[in-house]
Amino acid sequence: MQASASQDSKPDHAPIKGQGSGGLPGDEGVWFFIIADMGMFAVFFLLFMFGQAQDPETYRQSRSVLDPLIGLLNTIILLFSGWWIVRAVEAARREEWEAAFRRTLLALIIGLGFAVTKILEYKAKYDAGIAIDANEFFTYYFAFTGIHFLHFVIGVGVLIVTLTKLRKPEGGATLRWLESAAAYWHMVDLLWLILFPMIYLAGGTA
Amino acid sequence: MAVAPITTDNSYGTWKFCAWNGMIFMVVFMLFWGLMGHNLPPYAGDDAASVIAEYFRDNRQSVRLGMVVSMTFAVSYAVWGISIGKVMDHILGRGHILTDLQIWGAGLTVVPILVSSSIWLTGSYRPDALPDEILQLLYDMAWLLIDLAYSVTSVQMIALGVGCLRDKRAQPFFPKWVCWYSIWVGFMFVAECLMPFFKTGAFARQGILNYWIEFGIFFIYAPIITYYLLKAIGRIRAEQGD
Repeated sequence: MQASASQDSKPDHAPIKGQGSGGLPGDEGVWFFIIADMGMFAVFFLLFMFGQAQDPETYRQSRSVLDPLIGLLNTIILLFSGWWIVRAVEAARREEWEAAFRRTLLALIIGLGFAVTKILEYKAKYDAGIAIDANEFFTYYFAFTGIHFLHFVIGVGVLIVTLTKLRKPEGGATLRWLESAAAYWHMVDLLWLILFPMIYLAGGTA
Repeated sequence: MAVAPITTDNSYGTWKFCAWNGMIFMVVFMLFWGLMGHNLPPYAGDDAASVIAEYFRDNRQSVRLGMVVSMTFAVSYAVWGISIGKVMDHILGRGHILTDLQIWGAGLTVVPILVSSSIWLTGSYRPDALPDEILQLLYDMAWLLIDLAYSVTSVQMIALGVGCLRDKRAQPFFPKWVCWYSIWVGFMFVAECLMPFFKTGAFARQGILNYWIEFGIFFIYAPIITYYLLKAIGRIRAEQGD
């Protein structure tokens, strides 16, 4: 089916399949990457929690400088973006490629809001003279959110490539790519869903 | 799309020897650079200059031998990369850019290993004649170089992963998880960028992230790739009827 097909025209055959032999959405190899990456972040989380248990006062005082509303806004941005990528996958499974393209584009545009708020947040810290070596809390804050941001930037690149593939869809192969991209994009928002409460909220402020 | 003819080189015994160089490199690297060089783990970033000077003075013979052997066998990594390239020729066709990137990445990886080992060697050469701060400088320089040169190895790992994911065989030479592991390791090395900013903690050169995890995933990388590489060479040999 070509990209010009209407999203309203339902195909009269079963939805195409994109998953690999393991039954997972997308390419099963991507899931290895995701699990390995999340394993690394699990170590990050343990380090942070261990550090907080050792010196809760410094963590509380440092946390009071952060703006939880910006963190919440970032969470909402990523969740909405993630929701649209799910809808894009749903459309692609019905071979509604144009709808899948539009929804992926929407996921990308909404997701880019995360970059704006994150850069503004980093700039505010820079202007306040807070750097990565200020104390352990800010070391982890900049390092973990920075590495997460790097994942986000790669995700943006993946979504852009996905859009080019959705312009010239090739059935199951394109769906498998989209599902893989969506799984990665969800990893980005899932990691943020842990980073946000852990860094901005848990343990309280001074 | 026409694929360039694969290599006519059928010296599979040499291929296998080159493949085993991955294991040779890693064993030598761990024993000589690691154990004899006292780099498992390194001295901390916040250790005093006198501690580093004492390390060079007390262990000069051990460090000298460790670094001499490490420098001698550093090229094994490039030899290993060439054999991976031979298998990638059978996946991608001869002359593919990803194969070139993998080979160049492996080849360039030799340079920081050679140069940083030579810096450790310099520190152990006449440690009694050098002030503590100079010995500390050499030690810091060696670690900054070997950690921050990660990107050349990342090029090899990512090119290998991306290239071998394109294997259309029902049973690919390298399983998908191995390809993705390769990409992931190459990607995760970026955390080394944080190392120069810290002397203590998880991101310091002796820290849990920038030493134990980063070097850990690197130490098991070559054995995993070599295992599948040797199997792939055996399969190619069988396919070619040799």
